Amino acid sequence: MTDTMLELKGVRKRFGSLEVLKGVDLEVGKGEVICILGPSGSGKSTLLRCVNLLAPPEEGEIFLEGKDICKGPGSGTGESSWNLDFVRQRVGMVFQQFNLFPHKTALQNVTLAPQTVLGKSRAETEEKGRALLERVGLGDRLGQYPETLSGGQQQRVAIARALAMEPHVMLFDEVTSALDPELVKEVLDTMRELAGEGMTMLVVTHEMGFAKEVGDQVVFMDGGVVVEQGDPKQVLDSPREERTQKFLGLVLER
Amino acid sequence: MKVFFEQYFDFHIMGEHFGEVLEAFLQNLLIFLVAAVIALLWGLVLALLRQAPGRKFIPIRVLTIAYIDVLRAIPLLIIILLISGGVPFLTFIPKDIRIPAWFGKPDPFWYGVAALVFVYGAYMAEVYRAGIEAVPKGQMEAARSLGMSHLQAMRHIIVPQAVTKVPAPMLNELISLLKDTTLVSVIALAESVLVSREILAEQLNSSALTLTAAFFLVICLPGARLVDYLIKRNQGKISRGAHIEVA
Repeated sequence: MTDTMLELKGVRKRFGSLEVLKGVDLEVGKGEVICILGPSGSGKSTLLRCVNLLAPPEEGEIFLEGKDICKGPGSGTGESSWNLDFVRQRVGMVFQQFNLFPHKTALQNVTLAPQTVLGKSRAETEEKGRALLERVGLGDRLGQYPETLSGGQQQRVAIARALAMEPHVMLFDEVTSALDPELVKEVLDTMRELAGEGMTMLVVTHEMGFAKEVGDQVVFMDGGVVVEQGDPKQVLDSPREERTQKFLGLVLER
Repeated sequence: MKVFFEQYFDFHIMGEHFGEVLEAFLQNLLIFLVAAVIALLWGLVLALLRQAPGRKFIPIRVLTIAYIDVLRAIPLLIIILLISGGVPFLTFIPKDIRIPAWFGKPDPFWYGVAALVFVYGAYMAEVYRAGIEAVPKGQMEAARSLGMSHLQAMRHIIVPQAVTKVPAPMLNELISLLKDTTLVSVIALAESVLVSREILAEQLNSSALTLTAAFFLVICLPGARLVDYLIKRNQGKISRGAHIEVA
């Protein structure tokens, strides 16, 4: 068993009267890639948002590198606790809609947070930003603004932007869902490479092939709980739970 | 008809008082410039306070909203009168502030500026707010997920995008502000309306007021055209999809 990077215990999250997460337990080892599947509204994205405290849970515990990140005055509203910096500097996130900063170039998107949050020098962050953008295959797009880039390119800039903070865990929230089909591969390739380098990753996705190939575990969620969890091949090819079978049937039918 | 023209468009009177009215109009422009710069900043501060996150800022948010609502609900004329008629007697305020004579300008000038800043700060805060709310939610989330504080995200990400969305409505506020500088005439500041009214009383002729109106037209009409142009350009941008920000 590898070291535990992230552990969730009985995590509950509600938005008003709607309970989106109804007690989720999950353990993520260092360097593991966990793919989270499930129908829309099952709480997958909310789970990711709980982990980086964009949507702090009301109940339950989340341990990041052994530290309980939910305790503190901010739990519930999540704005005023010491653990926010601890979490955000260790957990990177990539969004479905990229959310690149449209008024900044690709390079500036990558260098801004290290400069403002970590106080690093411009020269240092630019050198590193260049290297990161090269790594995601965009070394020749440094000065371009997001609107001049394709969706796949934008998403790779977003990955580089998150990596610039040297996260220990990366969260991917349906990062290929908004892309044209022919652009999906370039983003998945980047993620595959990242997984190969030993990054701990939580990946909410509908890409079954990716889950099977890259995932160490697959988690199937429905109705705010983890329905089934295990080896990707086992969960995807011979699911034990009826709800998993039904979902996979619908997805593979396409 | 001749009577009408003589009453409003007596070019002889206009010519005779042209310099005097123009000089007074420059006072309006000066009040406008000073008040506009401060109100633009004050409005942004108010808008940011109104957006301050979390539970501990609730009192600040409530106070800010109350300020914005109250100042927009009271006639500007009353605010001007309240400040100029009351502040000089508030002896707990140092005399230099209570009866200001900064940069060689008389105290009514500064009372007028203060009233305009208080009120237009509130209006402009609402314009900024609309701009801030027009920035997609994902921008704040992305900034926060990278470890930026709310204030850092506002400064580097949200406000720079918000201000590109507000020039047209802000220009409308600025045009109103310029016109409302004439209200400062009620506290005996020698601006264009006061000066033309003196001429009216002296000559029983309105042509100086007409001239003043013409000065405002010259400045405000191009402004109104510019607002239209900015709105059209903005719509063009949206329909061309220059900012691809999928919700």
